[in-house]
Amino acid sequence: MFRRKRSAEDFAEEIKAHLELEADALESEGLSEGEARWKARREFGNIRAAQERFYMKGRWVWLDKLWRDLRFGFRSLRQSPGFAATAILTLALGIGANTAVFSVMNAVLLKSLPVADPDRVVYLRTTNPPHGTGTVNSTETFSYPVYDAFRRQARGLSSVMAYVPLSGSKVSVRYGPQPEEAEGDMVSGTFFSGLGVNLPHGRGFTEQDETNHAPIAVLSYNYWTRRFARDPDVLGKTLYVNSVPMTIVGIAAEGFEGVEGGGSTDFWIPMQSRPELNAWGNPLEDGKTYIANPTWWCLRMIGRLAPGVTRAQAGAQLQPVFQTAAYVGLGSPPKDIKPPVLSFADAKGFAGNDEVYGKPLRMLMAMVGLVLLIALMNVVMLLLARNATRQREFSLRQALGAGRGELLRQLLTESLILVAAGGAVAWGFAVLATRLLGRWAEIESSLAPDKTVLLFTLAVLVFAALLFGVAPLRIALAGRAELALKTSAATSNANAGKSRTGRVIVALQMALCVVLLVGGGLLIRTLRNLENTPLGMKVDGLVVFGVKPNIPSIPEGVAFYVNLMNKLRVLPGVESVTVMAERIGSWWSDNSDMMVDGRLPDVANGASRTVRSNMVGPNFFRTLGVPIIAGRDFADSDTATSPHVGIVNEEFAKRFLPNQNPLGHTTGLDNGQYTMTIVGVVKNHKYRSIDEEPIPMAWYMYAQLPIVGSMDVEMRVHGKPLAILPSARKAVQQLDPNLPLIRPMTQRAQFDMTISHQVLFARLAGFFGVLAVVLVATGLYGTLAYRVNMRTAEIGVRMAVGAGRGQVVWMILKDSLLLTVAGVVMGVPLAMLVGRALASSLYGVKPLDAASYLLAVVGVAVVALAASALPAGRAASIDPMKALRTE
Amino acid sequence: MATQENNDDRIALLQGTLDLLILKTLVLGPCHGQGVARLIQRQSEDVFLVDHGSLYVALQRLEDKEWIRAKWGVSDNNRKARFYSLTPKGREQLVEKTSEWRRLTRAMGLILDSGNERQGEEA
Repeated sequence: MFRRKRSAEDFAEEIKAHLELEADALESEGLSEGEARWKARREFGNIRAAQERFYMKGRWVWLDKLWRDLRFGFRSLRQSPGFAATAILTLALGIGANTAVFSVMNAVLLKSLPVADPDRVVYLRTTNPPHGTGTVNSTETFSYPVYDAFRRQARGLSSVMAYVPLSGSKVSVRYGPQPEEAEGDMVSGTFFSGLGVNLPHGRGFTEQDETNHAPIAVLSYNYWTRRFARDPDVLGKTLYVNSVPMTIVGIAAEGFEGVEGGGSTDFWIPMQSRPELNAWGNPLEDGKTYIANPTWWCLRMIGRLAPGVTRAQAGAQLQPVFQTAAYVGLGSPPKDIKPPVLSFADAKGFAGNDEVYGKPLRMLMAMVGLVLLIALMNVVMLLLARNATRQREFSLRQALGAGRGELLRQLLTESLILVAAGGAVAWGFAVLATRLLGRWAEIESSLAPDKTVLLFTLAVLVFAALLFGVAPLRIALAGRAELALKTSAATSNANAGKSRTGRVIVALQMALCVVLLVGGGLLIRTLRNLENTPLGMKVDGLVVFGVKPNIPSIPEGVAFYVNLMNKLRVLPGVESVTVMAERIGSWWSDNSDMMVDGRLPDVANGASRTVRSNMVGPNFFRTLGVPIIAGRDFADSDTATSPHVGIVNEEFAKRFLPNQNPLGHTTGLDNGQYTMTIVGVVKNHKYRSIDEEPIPMAWYMYAQLPIVGSMDVEMRVHGKPLAILPSARKAVQQLDPNLPLIRPMTQRAQFDMTISHQVLFARLAGFFGVLAVVLVATGLYGTLAYRVNMRTAEIGVRMAVGAGRGQVVWMILKDSLLLTVAGVVMGVPLAMLVGRALASSLYGVKPLDAASYLLAVVGVAVVALAASALPAGRAASIDPMKALRTE
Repeated sequence: MATQENNDDRIALLQGTLDLLILKTLVLGPCHGQGVARLIQRQSEDVFLVDHGSLYVALQRLEDKEWIRAKWGVSDNNRKARFYSLTPKGREQLVEKTSEWRRLTRAMGLILDSGNERQGEEA
């Protein structure tokens, strides 16, 4: 079919030859020359038709027709560029927003781990571990003896992999002369082999490496690219991790960035057993690392199901092993308490992501779904309006012999052009948006749209194309051929002007708009509340950074921090300096029940006894700017040899020592350790995050406890807080040249991070709310303007028989007000449902917050009025004579 | 673009029969389009109407299928004309189509005749 051997000219030539031959023959049969020619021509029939059939037959007819339709479509769209631009942009926004949110959802929640056969890989989970243990996460972490037992008798699992971060945040590493920070995990020897992660360069770990605690490291492809510019020579070089030399032996496959979501792991080392490399970067407890400490549940585990074993079978087989191992170091399990139960979770999406991102993402997906719905409706309405005005064109074309099929094809082609253009813009928009989203949400794993996302977008596009092609067809066909003969504008457009479909769509859009505005309003009020939450301290002027020194012994550790604080205090511009074990505003806290005056306190109404504690340095509260209500702050004179002192907050005093002067009472851990005398009471202030409720808190003086490890330094400075960092870095490196400043930032930025998800969620929700309003406004304006246009003749008649301008304006406004009322009546109950679904994401706002609803309703009404004002004004200024003459 | 119906007393050709007739005509030797039309008309004792436009489109179709081939030449009365002749593939097709057509007409005849008989019996 691609070859067209014969030209149309050749064919025409043959027909000409035929006519001559036929004429000759007829002449020889006795006709005159003229008669013969005429008869030959008549006998032949329609020459043009034959030529057309020849032309059609020679090519890929449908492609040819498509091409013609496309050209025609482009031409007719170019005639109304405003319509085309609005439709394409509307589509791009609607589809782009969906693609962006879906690709984030896909990357974070749906995608499987980039490992071999991910369906057989499971995260290990437990119910609450036994009493007397400490955990990092009460359902996701296990003790070393549990891992060890699983490794030895992995019934039902073909391999068990343990992994644990070297730090809650980043750990200090050094490759060249400059110390840096990176995210690193200690992993079992089976980690790479068990997961089936390839190492294109070098090698992974073996069980031998784990047993020997081999000083070797594997880099992630991403880190290798980012830090080492994919230099193949790094293999065999040394990477110092917390000053411990590790030889780089391999690079993991591209795309594998660890098995935890959100962050990305930079390097892995085999499980170590030395104080500098304890799990989570914690200081040793009683001189024991995580391996020697059976009551610290700190390891995460992931397993691969053995071939042919189901999850339930593997769980049942491992449960007895788990129960025995769980009580190692705790004596025999108590009879009356339920033992912890092992379970498995999908290695789909990343562990923990569902909690943090799942709900907001699903809500966002629903929101952008509504936005898409509004956008689609808009375009449908635009098409309806446009095609209604083209009814004469369609009638004319039908009258000239175009079939319904041809009209349908034409309409489908036009919608195809719109959808393709909209889709292309949407894709670009989505790629950009996911990049921004990733940055805002601080999700380091790749969010870029992939094949699944592409399929999703294509599905939406196909749906849109069909919808846009078929919906307006009804109108196009309604105009039958004879309509073209009617010349009256009033009669031929009368039906279209009163189209009920248009009214229903507008009312629906208003309803969706109310829902989106209420949702967005609630979340933005939440955001305002969060941002304006008093922290209980003077947070401006504070800068914080972490240090992780080498600490051979407790006194040396304390001496390091004393030295460091002394060095920092004398820097120009520094007002005061302190240290803390847990950085405030970073979600971390030590939680435990505490004794008061040697016994567990009685609490009223079954309130919790949990106390959040922190180990801090001298001048802690003065540095933070937290008011001291009674007593004093910690001082340099509080040392290991002086009486042990502690400070509590108001909530602690109110709950455990009601109506008493707390000063002079003692408090300490529930096992009797670390008892201290309360010497100060401070006002409640935020510890872990901005949105926490007041909770009893207690502070130890770090120098008086036999635990000292990595700490965070808090400095109050004059001027720009971050400007102090270079001189602070110098001071730290005078003490130890290997130490980087870990996560240096202002304290304000640190606290803001605790609401970054809410902030992002609220901003996006607000953005989509505004987008919906804009779309609804344009849609409404378009529809009303079009309806007024259709009724020009009618309005002219009305005015000619005496209707005043005011009456005409009212007629138009009444119409849109009615639609608004209908929309609001539908929208408010829907919004209440949405508000209830949002309840857990709100802070300081009720799901039935009257103000948000009122604002949404007023907002929709204002948009409706504004969108109708212009067409109404235009209607009122119609000159009756002119209007009647449009006939 | 719809083509108009032909209002003629003569029988319009059945779908697909034109191809067979062209092939049969060309068995006698190369011939141009006008000659093919005349031959068909004459041999059918003027029963068949050959729509000339359709004929040329059919000729082109057969040429594309490589059942016939064409060459510009000069006619008996010295006119330029495009001459068509059968290819070996065309000959095979002729045999096949002819037997197909025979079977078809025989079957048609059986049905039509049997109907008559039954009517006769009833009467």
